[in-house]
Amino acid sequence: MKSTFANIVSSLPADYADLRFEENRKIRIGYEGKELTEVATTLTSGGHVRVYAHGGKAISSFSDPGKAGPIADATCTSAILVGNSRDKKLRVASAPVITEDFLITPVRDPRTVSLKEKLDLTAHYNDIILQNPHVITTQTMYDEFTSRRIFVNSDGSIIEYELINVGVFGMIVTKKGSVVQRVRFAFGGNTDFSPLLGREEDVRKQITKAVELLDAEPAKAGIFPVVLDPSESGVFIHEAFGHLSEADGLQNNPSFRAKLQLGITLGKPILNVTDDATLPGLPGSYEIDDEGVRGMRTPLITRGVLSGRMHSRETAAEFGEPLSGNMRAVDVQCTPIVRMSNILIEAGDSTFDDMVRSIDNGYYLVGAKGGQTSGDQFTFGAQWGYRIVNGQLGNMVRDINMSGELFSTLQATSMIGDDVRFGERGGCGKGGGGPMQMNRKSGKGSPHIKIDAVTIGGI
Amino acid sequence: MHPLLENAKRTVDQAEMYWNQSHSIVVRYENYRLQQVTENDVSEASLRVIQNGKIGSAYAVFPNQEGFLDNAVTGAQYGDPVSYSFAGKADYPKLDNYSEATAQLKSSDLIEVCESIKTKLQKQLPDVALGIGASCERSELTIQTTQGANATSKSTGASFYFGAPFKGAGVGVFKSRSGIAPQVADGALLDEFVTWYNWGNQSSTPSTGRLPVILAPEAAFLMMMPLLAGVSGEAAWKKTSPLTQRLGEKILSDKLTIYENPLLAGNTDARAFDDEGVPCAKRAIVERGILKEFLFDQRVGAAMSTPSTGNGFKRTMFGSGNETSISPWFCCPTIEPGDTSWHDIVKGIKEGLLITNGMGFHSGNFPQGQFAVQAVGFHIINGAVVGRLDKTMISGNIYQDCLDVAAVSRDVGLCSGFLPLGTAPYVLIDSLQVAGK
Repeated sequence: MKSTFANIVSSLPADYADLRFEENRKIRIGYEGKELTEVATTLTSGGHVRVYAHGGKAISSFSDPGKAGPIADATCTSAILVGNSRDKKLRVASAPVITEDFLITPVRDPRTVSLKEKLDLTAHYNDIILQNPHVITTQTMYDEFTSRRIFVNSDGSIIEYELINVGVFGMIVTKKGSVVQRVRFAFGGNTDFSPLLGREEDVRKQITKAVELLDAEPAKAGIFPVVLDPSESGVFIHEAFGHLSEADGLQNNPSFRAKLQLGITLGKPILNVTDDATLPGLPGSYEIDDEGVRGMRTPLITRGVLSGRMHSRETAAEFGEPLSGNMRAVDVQCTPIVRMSNILIEAGDSTFDDMVRSIDNGYYLVGAKGGQTSGDQFTFGAQWGYRIVNGQLGNMVRDINMSGELFSTLQATSMIGDDVRFGERGGCGKGGGGPMQMNRKSGKGSPHIKIDAVTIGGI
Repeated sequence: MHPLLENAKRTVDQAEMYWNQSHSIVVRYENYRLQQVTENDVSEASLRVIQNGKIGSAYAVFPNQEGFLDNAVTGAQYGDPVSYSFAGKADYPKLDNYSEATAQLKSSDLIEVCESIKTKLQKQLPDVALGIGASCERSELTIQTTQGANATSKSTGASFYFGAPFKGAGVGVFKSRSGIAPQVADGALLDEFVTWYNWGNQSSTPSTGRLPVILAPEAAFLMMMPLLAGVSGEAAWKKTSPLTQRLGEKILSDKLTIYENPLLAGNTDARAFDDEGVPCAKRAIVERGILKEFLFDQRVGAAMSTPSTGNGFKRTMFGSGNETSISPWFCCPTIEPGDTSWHDIVKGIKEGLLITNGMGFHSGNFPQGQFAVQAVGFHIINGAVVGRLDKTMISGNIYQDCLDVAAVSRDVGLCSGFLPLGTAPYVLIDSLQVAGK
């Protein structure tokens, strides 16, 4: 199959072409409350072809590998149509030719674990949650994704590689009177089954928070200084800055491209931000991206100065910047887009206590709850928080969403802790001009940080 | 009956097959330049089986993919007992959701649609980073069960969008249209885009406090998604819905009547049957503010001893499609229009907000009716827009704040955001909490 696909892309009258063929297997086990709602296996296969010709680009996805040849031909015709209409031609940066396989050998391979063991494990954690009298329902999921991919391109690369991601995650729902609260839990999130075992205490800690939230106060609306815990600050740097460092989002946005020239100062010298696919055992770790480029470490902010960017081969050529190996697609129906691998704020030298002591009236916000970004505007939630009054932690608060603007917020990041932690479960949604791709393999890490002013939406 | 079902019938007690084949073309412009053509030809199938009273599921590319039936049967070995059967034979409402003209569209036709938008807007807004897209799709969905359901639908959809961020800003204005038949951008839509874009040349931040807020159709999801979470039969069953035990009570303003209308003519999301092969029907969910009905699929309906309302869909907040589990969802939610022009609603506001989007909605406690989002839209002072909103959040709870609705426009637009496609008017809420200056 590899040589057939390689012949297809190399015979096209194209500037560049590649083809990715995938065989994917997913296992999903889901509990909602006492009910086992799903034990499901998904088997999918199919291909995706990309063609650059006459300076234009076209892409196609297909289910039937027997149609790969005619579909590649038709895609090439479309690329020529696009190219002939463009004054500014698209091209791809040169990249090393790779003829190597990248197969994964986890400590304990989830593919070798029986369905029964996975089911029992999911039921075990779900039962622990249901034992608490304040819990009215749960969502407990076992989620396993394995993918075997072939990548060939017209440069001569022929690569076979694997992706594995396995985790247990869910939601604890508690109720007291009319107040209903939800707290998330997640563990695993990389290639290894072992970290899913023995996590009872982690689950119980989250249950305690979900119960405590029932007596918490809603957050007040206004502008406040905040301390973010590592999971919150990981989401902050991912949403607020990371997405604006993905070059495909800047490629056609002249005003942000002008604002984000390499070398500009974005934050204080204490701020260092990196994207790193080579860190072992994290959700966004990988050897090779879906464009046949090796994953690597890319410094993005160095001592407060914009020092790098995440690229595709196309954007690297257009920006005249180095390749970064950040092109990834979640499945065959999706084209690769520029994605963060593992983004992190590097450790500083402040302590958590220093940060709290420095605030007279603000919040300590804990637990990532997702976020959204558009250009330089960002919003993200916290699972719970605490008032900070006169340098001391105060009452617990709930229902917290905050927003801000990237450039002023990076400048307002005034203290960075020495306690870097990565979230176990990755996740990121991005469309990139196409359908939304929910990517499990996107890690976020950070120490505690202090931001001098963010807008909090509350009562 | 499909051979897979014939085969399954010999192995399991019941089986249900969902099979969708689609062909789509998308063209995309960035900065007034044709950027990319995408053409997809995809087949996907799911299979649910009941064996010895337990249910199992499997998903695949083709129904005849190796291992498809075996995986579903294995799932059923471990699955929970089910108290319902797959859908039986039914008469489905007639729904015309196929256009041969759309089925015949080629990428060159979509390029023509984009070029017409480009030509008009490039004259008026030459310096903006305008993105334009047009797409068409034809698909054939088949749902068959061993119990006799045989639902098939041949449908088409065509759409376009265009939009641009405000200069130097992270947010902007976007407009779109979609329908069964080929779509062309009319002059009124293009003019409205230019007006809105120019409104955003200045930014403006309101003061912190309570202010009147207009939800444009594009922002109707801020009210409708919490409502969907509340009227989901599943939330009622699990007692997580704030609407549990509130059937027949006033939950929203009497100016609001909300239908679930899967048979909405011309709508690309319209359906004669749900993803379990149960017939769909138009239903009043909220009538003059009174809660009338919850939505059920077969699983939740059985748990609540009530029939499915035909709302078992493979949808979630972040996506839809073959691999998504079935749960009760809106198909085409519609808010009934009022009798005021939305322009007149704006003119009547001393200080307030026109909201066109809300960022970060999914991070909030929306299943309880709450939202706290970064406000995207415009600041109104003395009946006129003074600029785009900047550094502003709005928050509230629909079951408190939407009890007081001052006006509902006669103009309607397509819902967007997290919702399936429905229609909504402009809704003026008396006041919401605003975090600004």
